[in-house]
Amino acid sequence: MNGLWLVARREIVTRGRTKAFVIGLVVSAILVAALAFLPKLFSGPDSYTVGLTGAQSQALGPALSAAAKDVRLTVREFPDEASASGAVTAGDVDAAVVDGRRVLADGEVGGELGLLLETANQSAQTQRQLSEAGLDPAKVAAAMRVAPLEQVSVGADARYAGVRVGIASLLVMVLFFLLIYSSMYVAMGVVEEKGSRIVEILLTSVRPWQLLGGKIAGLGALALANMVVIIVAGLGAAAATGLAADLPPGMTGIVVSALFWFILGYAFFAAMAAALGSLVSRQEDANSVLTPMTMLMMITYLVAYFAAVQPNSPVARILSLVPPFSSMVMPVRMAGGEVLLWEIAVAAVLMLLATAGTLMLGARIYSRAVLRTGARVKLSEAMR
Amino acid sequence: MIEIDDLHKRYGDKVALDGVTFSVRPGEMFGFVGANGAGKTTTMRILMGVLTADSGSVRRDGKGLTFDDRRRFGYMPEERGLYQKMRVFEQVEYFGRLSGLTTAGAKKATGELLERLSLTERANDAVDALSLGNQQRVQLAVALVHDPEALILDEPFSGLDPLAVDALAAVLAERCAAGVPVLFSSHQLDLVERLCDSVGIISAGRVVASGTVEELRDREGRGLLRVVVRDASPGWAASLPGEVTEKGDEVLVAGVDGDGQEILQLAVKAGRVEHFGWQRPTLTEIFREAVA
Repeated sequence: MNGLWLVARREIVTRGRTKAFVIGLVVSAILVAALAFLPKLFSGPDSYTVGLTGAQSQALGPALSAAAKDVRLTVREFPDEASASGAVTAGDVDAAVVDGRRVLADGEVGGELGLLLETANQSAQTQRQLSEAGLDPAKVAAAMRVAPLEQVSVGADARYAGVRVGIASLLVMVLFFLLIYSSMYVAMGVVEEKGSRIVEILLTSVRPWQLLGGKIAGLGALALANMVVIIVAGLGAAAATGLAADLPPGMTGIVVSALFWFILGYAFFAAMAAALGSLVSRQEDANSVLTPMTMLMMITYLVAYFAAVQPNSPVARILSLVPPFSSMVMPVRMAGGEVLLWEIAVAAVLMLLATAGTLMLGARIYSRAVLRTGARVKLSEAMR
Repeated sequence: MIEIDDLHKRYGDKVALDGVTFSVRPGEMFGFVGANGAGKTTTMRILMGVLTADSGSVRRDGKGLTFDDRRRFGYMPEERGLYQKMRVFEQVEYFGRLSGLTTAGAKKATGELLERLSLTERANDAVDALSLGNQQRVQLAVALVHDPEALILDEPFSGLDPLAVDALAAVLAERCAAGVPVLFSSHQLDLVERLCDSVGIISAGRVVASGTVEELRDREGRGLLRVVVRDASPGWAASLPGEVTEKGDEVLVAGVDGDGQEILQLAVKAGRVEHFGWQRPTLTEIFREAVA
């Protein structure tokens, strides 16, 4: 065990100190945090100034204030159209209403403000026309007041569907990014040791499983640390922007399950990377020998991406049980929707078995191939 | 005592080892020489457990070598291996820890060893920033850091400058004096002759000659007489029994049976005998003869 710990510690210290790792950590955290700020950037300003001029416009004031619920609205009055127009051109007001008929704007009035003006105009005109027809607007309003339909979902809780898909898609990217780059480091480390023959000295002091296990554990600890940093950055940024209020309940569960599935998926792919990496002696050959692993990872990624959008489709449900797809599909489904408990249990047991099997097979291939330097070792030879 | 007993190894059709047998005593410096591909590296790799033999055994004091035994050996493989991006001190310390030293013990041993190998100033440099000679010293430090119970070094002197050779030779001699068996392979036969107590010559997977350097020289020198006679009449040696080579006053007689007294008498008759003795070959000559 001591040997394993020493190997793991070396990986953590030497790898964690490299520029590439530190930069990757910072950049991934910033990227995820930036995503939390994104809705705010695209939602436009949340305060407007509207100018009013002419007698017919006066009634719009209270109607505008009543319509503006989520935004801050300032109303300024102007003596004539010329001064209102000047204020629009100067940018002092976002739009000006003349005589309750025309809107002056620098370009087009669109989006939120356009909708606001339209609503206010409609309610002001309705009131005026009702009074002109001799009806009491207050009574009409009371008669028109209806209770809105209450939404009750009898299927999955759909209230947070949008946010859930967003979180799930983000999770797919983060999982894929961390899985592929940390598995690659495992493979590169194995090839480095084999190619430089350090492995000959190492294996006179530690057992192959200690060397392999230590490498996987050490690089895995770094990847896990990276994952935690990303989650903290994302949730922190969400809290800072007020986005956290829109997050679905059970975020803790989503985070814990993401970490759990990440560890399993990483162990699976890292063992595969180490076994394949041990077949070659040169970094140049590493990419081609790793192709089966990268292909499997790509497929897992695509399936998981599909599951993020369609978490309850039959394909997503079935593949969320099948290892190694489950390592990404299951956490994504759990983030994207409701998953039955038995599904989680079955997926976890199957993935644990598959991971244990891959680790054992990987260690076997590794210990047989890693000392056979020179030409690429055939997989069939290493397994025999 | 480390015993290598009847090792056989083949790679496909190619026989790499064909019954390699020799032993290294505690405190003995054993030079392992042979042409390229003769089986030196294969033997050492089997000794270190990095390769398995088809048959035969490696033992220490009669017991088969275990992983724990080898862990306390110092090993320098033929192809040098170091982590290129790792700092010198950390690297040597790491291998010390892997071989079972405590943190404090590994730090202390590393510090002393780097001092000894004149690497103290480079302790915090990455290995790839070092010259090849200095990398070689780091490699040696890795093999020595845990105060090994035996040293197995594959071509430790190759690529070293004369000063580094002396430093390494001194370190090895010191370990030997402490009772550690030292086995190293080399192509530099003069060096082996100078440093080693015993030599094994391997050719085509077999040890064709082994023993102390003196034994080998005596054994292989038997039958070659060197006689120097001044003021002799020319051609006096032509009638001597054996294969005669004349170079001025010096006469070499090969293939002499017996003790050569008859030749001495003829020489005395021919002139003033300045030198008469068995010609002891150098290790290089023994080697050429043995692998021919």
